[in-house]
Amino acid sequence: MIARKIPLIPTLFLLPSLLFLSIFIYFPLVQNLYNSFFEFSVFSPTKEFVGFASFQQLIQDKVIMAAFINNVKYAVISVLFQVFFALILATILEDKVFRRIAPALRVIYFMPVMISISVIALLFTFVYNPQMGLLNSFLELIGLENLAVPWLGNATTAIYAVIAMSQWQSIGFITMLFIVAIQKIPKELYEAADIDGAGKIRKFFNITVPQVKETMFVNVLITVTGSILVFNEPFILTGGGPGFSSTTLSVLMYEQGFGKDNMGYASAIATLIFVLSAIFALIQIRVSGTGKDD
Amino acid sequence: MKKMLLFSIFLLLLSSVLSACNSSDETTAATEDGKVVIDFFHRWPNEPRKSFYDEKIKEYMEANPDVHINVNSVLNDSYKEKIKVLVSSDDLPDIFSSWSYSFAENLVSSEKIMPLNDVLNEDKEWSSSIIESQYDGFKFDDETYGVPFTVDGKAFFYNKAIFEENNIAVPKTYDEFISALDSLKQAGYEQPLVEGLTDTWAISHYLGTIFERVVDPAVLEKDYKAETGEFTDPGYIKGLEIFKQLTAYMGDVSTAMDHEAARNMFAAGEVPVLYMQFAEIKMVEEAGNVEIGFFDFPAVGDGKGDPTALTGAPEGWMVSKTAPKETIDFLKFLTSEETAAEFTKTDGQLNAVKGAVTPDNVNATSQEAYELVTNATSTAPWFDNAVNINIADVFMRGGQELATGQSTPQDIMKTVQQEAQSLRE
Repeated sequence: MIARKIPLIPTLFLLPSLLFLSIFIYFPLVQNLYNSFFEFSVFSPTKEFVGFASFQQLIQDKVIMAAFINNVKYAVISVLFQVFFALILATILEDKVFRRIAPALRVIYFMPVMISISVIALLFTFVYNPQMGLLNSFLELIGLENLAVPWLGNATTAIYAVIAMSQWQSIGFITMLFIVAIQKIPKELYEAADIDGAGKIRKFFNITVPQVKETMFVNVLITVTGSILVFNEPFILTGGGPGFSSTTLSVLMYEQGFGKDNMGYASAIATLIFVLSAIFALIQIRVSGTGKDD
Repeated sequence: MKKMLLFSIFLLLLSSVLSACNSSDETTAATEDGKVVIDFFHRWPNEPRKSFYDEKIKEYMEANPDVHINVNSVLNDSYKEKIKVLVSSDDLPDIFSSWSYSFAENLVSSEKIMPLNDVLNEDKEWSSSIIESQYDGFKFDDETYGVPFTVDGKAFFYNKAIFEENNIAVPKTYDEFISALDSLKQAGYEQPLVEGLTDTWAISHYLGTIFERVVDPAVLEKDYKAETGEFTDPGYIKGLEIFKQLTAYMGDVSTAMDHEAARNMFAAGEVPVLYMQFAEIKMVEEAGNVEIGFFDFPAVGDGKGDPTALTGAPEGWMVSKTAPKETIDFLKFLTSEETAAEFTKTDGQLNAVKGAVTPDNVNATSQEAYELVTNATSTAPWFDNAVNINIADVFMRGGQELATGQSTPQDIMKTVQQEAQSLRE
C-alpha cells in the first residue's frame, strides 16, 4: 500500500557524481554533436548551419583514413604488448622464483606510469634524436649503424616510434592490474594442479588465464579506448608529422579546431571518435559477456 | 546527525562548483586601492625578453603609481592558440603582442580590437617615429589596428670561413647557389644546408620566398586572397620542385629536428648554410664562434616573380576595445625610442622605431640587415600569415612529405586547389 520510498542516502551518494558527469561529460557530448552541424571559427561571432556537410567532408577526407589506420595500429600493438605481454610479465613477477626481488621489479616497471607524459615525450625526443640520440648511438655501438634511421623524421618509422614509447610507459600499469588479479586467485587451485603434476606453463593457461579473464577484459577496454583517443604522444613527439604519417584522429581534431579554426569540422571528428570508441566498447562488452560470470 | 553531515558536504560541493562558474565574470578595471589595472599579454616567457618586459613594467608602474600592470606570457605556438581562445571569450587582455597580416586580420575580424587611427593621428610625434611601411601589416580597410614594433626578414646565412676555404663566391642566382651547395658537398659537408623541418613554419618561410621569386606578383596577390585564390599557376609546382631540390641537401635528419637544433648546428660550424631570420643573428653569435655573412634568396633563372622581394613581417602590439585609456600611454611607453633602443640592445632583434637601431646597440651584421629591411623595395609577409591557414597547412605538411618522398608537387597542388575552391565558396 505504501508508495515505494526512494531511499535518501543512496540517492544523495549518487547525486554528486551524476551532477559532475552531466556537467562535464553528457552536456559537452550533446553540445559537440550540435556543433558538428555548424561551421564556425573561434573568431566568428556567429555560427553558420551547414547540416551534414562536415560529415560528408569527413567521408571524403583521405587524412581521416590515414589517421584512423594509425589509431588501429596503435590499438593492435597496444593490446598485444600491454595486455598479453603484461600478463606474462605479471605471472613471472608473481612466480615463487622471483618472490624476493619481485617488489623491487614491480616498482621499476611502475615508475614510468608516474612520470608525466609530456616529460616522457620530451625524454624520448632525446632517445630518438638522429644525431646524438641514445637509440642510434646504441645501434652504432653494437655495429648495427645501418639500422639507425631518424626514427621520428622517417614517414614509415614515425608512428611505430611513437607507439613504442607508449608501450614503455603503460606496460607497468597494466602489469600492476594483472598482479592484483593474480594475487586474488585462490592458492588451492595451484596446489591442486601441483598434485596433479601440472607444469608452470600448464598452470598459466589452465588456471591463471581463466581466472584473470575479467581483468583482461578491463585491460583490453582500457588500451583500445586509450588507443582511439591517443593524443599527447604523437602531438608532442612529432606533431603528427612528417606529413600526416603519425597523425591520429585526436591530433587531427586538435589541428582542425585550434590550428586551422574549423571548429565545426573538428566537432565532427570528435563525434566520429566518440562513435568509434563507443562501438569498440560495446563489441567488447558483448564478446566477453562481462557481469555474467559463472 | 549523519544525514545532516552528508547534506552539508553535498551543499559545500555544489556551492564550490557554482562559484567556480561565476568567478570569471568579476573582472573589474580597478583594484581595491583604486588603481587602474592593465592586463598585458606577450609571447616571450623565455629570456632575455621576459626579464626585459618585467623590468619595463616595474619602471612604468614606478613612474605611474596609479596604474597596476598584470603580465602574462606563453610561448609562440601556444600563444597563437591561447589568444584565439581569449578573443572568443570576454577575457581579451588590454594590450598584447600580435603578428601582422592574416594573423592580425583574424583577430580584427572578432571586432574586439581597438581601431587606432584616431590615437595615431592625435600624437603625430609618436606615431611618425615608427617606420611608415611597417604599419601595412596592421592596416585593414584603411584602419590601423596595431602598432608595429619588431621588424624582421629572412636570408641565407653562410659561414664565411668555410666559403673562403673552399673558394666559393656568394651566389647571385639560384643556379649558382645549387652549384655552391654541390661543391660544399664535394668538400665533405654531407648536409651543406640545414633546416628543422618538424617546425612547419620554417617550411612556410622557404615556400613563401620561393613563390615570391617564381610566381608573378599579380597572380600571388590574387591567389593569396581566400575569395579569389585558385593556385593553378604552374609556378607553384616549380616552386615546390625547387624546395624538394633544396631538401635533398639537408640530409635525412632534417625531418626529425627543429629549427633551433638546425641553428645550433650552423652556429657550431657543422653546417655552412642556414636560411634564418635576422632576429636570430645574436643567438648564433652567442651559441658559437663563427663569422657569418648573409645573402638574399637568389633570383631564379626564368622566374616571373620579384627577384629582390624580402620576406619578413613586423610584429607589434594590439589594444582591446575595452581597455582602459591608460593602456594607450603604456603602449606609447613600450614603443618609445628609449625602450626600443634598450630592447634591441638586450635582445638583438631589430625594431621599427626610427633611430633606435644604431651601431651602439647592434653589431655590423645586424646593422647591414637593418638597412636591407628598411630599404627593401617590397616586403612579403610570412607565407603562413599571408594565406589562409588551411592553404598554408597543405603546403607545410606537403613540404614535409616532399622531404620524405611521400608526395609529389603535383599531388600537393591538387589538394591546395581543392582547399582553395572550398574557401572560395
